[in-house]
Amino acid sequence: MNKLLHNNTLFTLTLLGIATALAFLFFSFVSENTANIALLYIIAQILIARYTNGYLYGLFSSVFSVICINFFFTYPFFRLNFTLSGYPVTFIGMLIITLLTTATTSRLKKQTEILAKQEKQVQIARQESLRANLLRAVSHDLRTPLTSIIGTTSSLLSDGSILSDAEKKELLENIENDSSWLLNMVENLLSVTRINDTVTHQVNKTPEIVEEVVSEAVQRLKKRFPSASIVVHVPDDFLMIPMDAILIEQVLINLLENALIHSGSSHAPELTVTDHPDHVAFCVKDFGHGLNPDDIPDIFSGICHNTGSVDSHKGMGIGLSICKTIIDAHSGYIEAKNHTNGALFLFTLPKDEEENIPCSQK
Amino acid sequence: MQPKVNILFIEDERNILAFVTKLLYGHNYKVTTAATGTEGLQLINSICPDLILLDLGLPDMDGQTIIQQVREWSDCPIIVISARTNEREKVKALDLGADDYITKPFGSAELLARIRTSLRHSNRMNTSSDQLFRPYKCGDLVLDFEKRTLTICGKIVHLTPIEYKILVFLAQNCGKVMTYSSIINNVWGPYADDNNRILRVNMTNIRRKIEINPADPKYIFTEVGVGYRMSEEH
Repeated sequence: MNKLLHNNTLFTLTLLGIATALAFLFFSFVSENTANIALLYIIAQILIARYTNGYLYGLFSSVFSVICINFFFTYPFFRLNFTLSGYPVTFIGMLIITLLTTATTSRLKKQTEILAKQEKQVQIARQESLRANLLRAVSHDLRTPLTSIIGTTSSLLSDGSILSDAEKKELLENIENDSSWLLNMVENLLSVTRINDTVTHQVNKTPEIVEEVVSEAVQRLKKRFPSASIVVHVPDDFLMIPMDAILIEQVLINLLENALIHSGSSHAPELTVTDHPDHVAFCVKDFGHGLNPDDIPDIFSGICHNTGSVDSHKGMGIGLSICKTIIDAHSGYIEAKNHTNGALFLFTLPKDEEENIPCSQK
Repeated sequence: MQPKVNILFIEDERNILAFVTKLLYGHNYKVTTAATGTEGLQLINSICPDLILLDLGLPDMDGQTIIQQVREWSDCPIIVISARTNEREKVKALDLGADDYITKPFGSAELLARIRTSLRHSNRMNTSSDQLFRPYKCGDLVLDFEKRTLTICGKIVHLTPIEYKILVFLAQNCGKVMTYSSIINNVWGPYADDNNRILRVNMTNIRRKIEINPADPKYIFTEVGVGYRMSEEH
């Protein structure tokens, strides 16, 4: 605050000093026209009003200018004389100009401030509603498997004696499936908190080797689906790009899981990584029935519209919206489309220039 | 009858404690449990367990403190249990002297395998050093420590001296995760640069030489943010 005051004062005095100096030069070398001198001061005042805060500096500079002109540049020189005919009009004019400029600029400043604040509020509100939507979708999705787990366990507890071993095994397997699905969902949600930890919605990036991240994602998915087969292609070059590896793994797992479960095909999905000059592209392809074209525009929004669809995409919406959040936080790009025989998800991660040069070793 | 292996399980979640205890009893281990760090430390000092399972999130003290205190006087294997997203915590625990970690939630098969691996390693340390010179075999891959050769399906794979050193270190600790810094210390010496890029470039080259599909490895697994784990012999 003090510094601001200091800066404003300094700015005002400097400008007035420059104006006076110019006025002197003009007055002594060009012509003794007081109107031009007044113009010089007016320019200085407008600048002061524009670039300082509050009325004080503008007022001060206008009074200072009036006195200066009267003192230095009107007859009698080096003496104050306010009785000259016509001059009061000049002085009052200058005062009014200053006041008007100051008023306008300060109102402008206030308006931009208000606008910025409003924009921030709108952004916060949008984030809040996104979060609320996500929470609603999540709670809805979590309730289904939880209901099934609670129901199954209570029937095992109460009717355990009358169930055959095969029936019991089937019920226990259902519980296992539901809970591992729940676990994956929780991992997804936890990964989002990793992004929100920081205020800027940025993630903590470290340089990671692409094939290591890909291989860990595939390993973790295979742990959950031991029979799954996935075709993986990575470039032969040593590729190291900055990312939060846990989050990118989560994206890969979500996309591959969708390709495995929701494609409606037993053909092994393909994960292909390609190297481009300024980014690395990850492409997950399945060979199933593809995406419903109506769903594609909103597919990453977290809301599943296809309530009427036979195939209930349990949790697919949340998984994809989390993918989008993660890729956005990495300043990457993600899209979904159909290829000739199935669905295709593609995301890119930017390379960091300084990281990129030393590691492109062939 | 062989005396039972005594495992101390330090964990504050009652349900997990119950499930793991039942599992370990079922597999012929003797289990002692502690719900707090203080209790755990007392038990470690009094019963000298053969293996410690340690949950890092304890109510009364940081699990890292327990590792530090135990390592002051004992080489007893410690397996740390931690949440997946906490890489830094895992690395710290391993560098403090924990033998391995397992991520919550874990399957019973995985836990039992980790326990077997850690026990085998500690036995190896205590009995003969002969076994350390026995070739490492895993699938088609054979690493002969005496001849200093690596063969896959009988064919010799050429390795640089650094690559060979890394592989030997991982193979001698197969089944356990080795942190970046422990590998660097072992291969390049204690005064090496802490930057792990050179290690990772070497690992990439090793993978190119030994794995058929580097993105779907059979021998060396990456634990992103922590280190590398070489597959158990089989």
